[in-house]
Amino acid sequence: MSAAHDQNGWVDRLRDPTQQPEALEQLRALLLRGLRRAFASKAGDDAFLEDIAQDALVRILDRLDQFEGRSQFTTWAMAVAVRLATSQLRRKHTQDISLDGLTGSNPLKIEFADDSAAKPSAGIERSSLIGKLQELIDDRLTDRQRWAIQALLNGVPIEEIARRTDSNPNAVYKLVHDARTRLKQGFEQAGYTADDLVGLSQ
Amino acid sequence: MSLTRKQISILMQLVAETSPDEMDCGDCLDHLAEFAETHLEGRPLSDALSEVQTHMKNCPCCEHEFQSFLEALQGIAEGE
Repeated sequence: MSAAHDQNGWVDRLRDPTQQPEALEQLRALLLRGLRRAFASKAGDDAFLEDIAQDALVRILDRLDQFEGRSQFTTWAMAVAVRLATSQLRRKHTQDISLDGLTGSNPLKIEFADDSAAKPSAGIERSSLIGKLQELIDDRLTDRQRWAIQALLNGVPIEEIARRTDSNPNAVYKLVHDARTRLKQGFEQAGYTADDLVGLSQ
Repeated sequence: MSLTRKQISILMQLVAETSPDEMDCGDCLDHLAEFAETHLEGRPLSDALSEVQTHMKNCPCCEHEFQSFLEALQGIAEGE
């Protein structure tokens, strides 16, 4: 750990039983200030943020050995608190939402809304690209990949998909990354470049 | 279900920017504090931090968390 990144000696103070109570109180106040700034409008009430700050302190103490000094200590600590707040707010936000409802009655197939392909101004190239996308989705992706992509495009956070499928965020990210890779390879084999795809997305 | 025009655009963008060795969410979030400080100070990104940036282009969840994180850091700075 770099001493330059712990200028106020947070780590030592948090480890020293005689200094820990005061250090914890200072850190709690600091975290709460950051949490209020970032989440006050989304959290509903301040008690939620106070709980997050408290939980963050427990986690920070638990992970003190993992602070490597790659950032200021307070930045690292704030990241821990933001991680907790984000995770809990996502769970609150999506707990009453059915993933099946978001992915449609047939969650294994992506269909395109009429306006995406049939606009006169869109041109043949656009229709051709979208047709290819549909074909690749149908032919190269697994059911799980199609389902995960649909959920993501409907705004369901990766960690929520993971929670509801008894998986973990990294595994869900890999599932979707593999799907994107298959789609990209399919486009490349059909003679399309990344620029062609970006052109369509603009 | 049907995808909107915007959703198709997002998907195409994600496919276009896909690279073989992308950092996963866990690694991205592990580097978020360092990335945020580098970003706020306008310093050049190391290779590892460039991967964080690439990951966030492809991961709305991590990008969203990063924006919240920047707001939180602003809250800390304003109280000092």
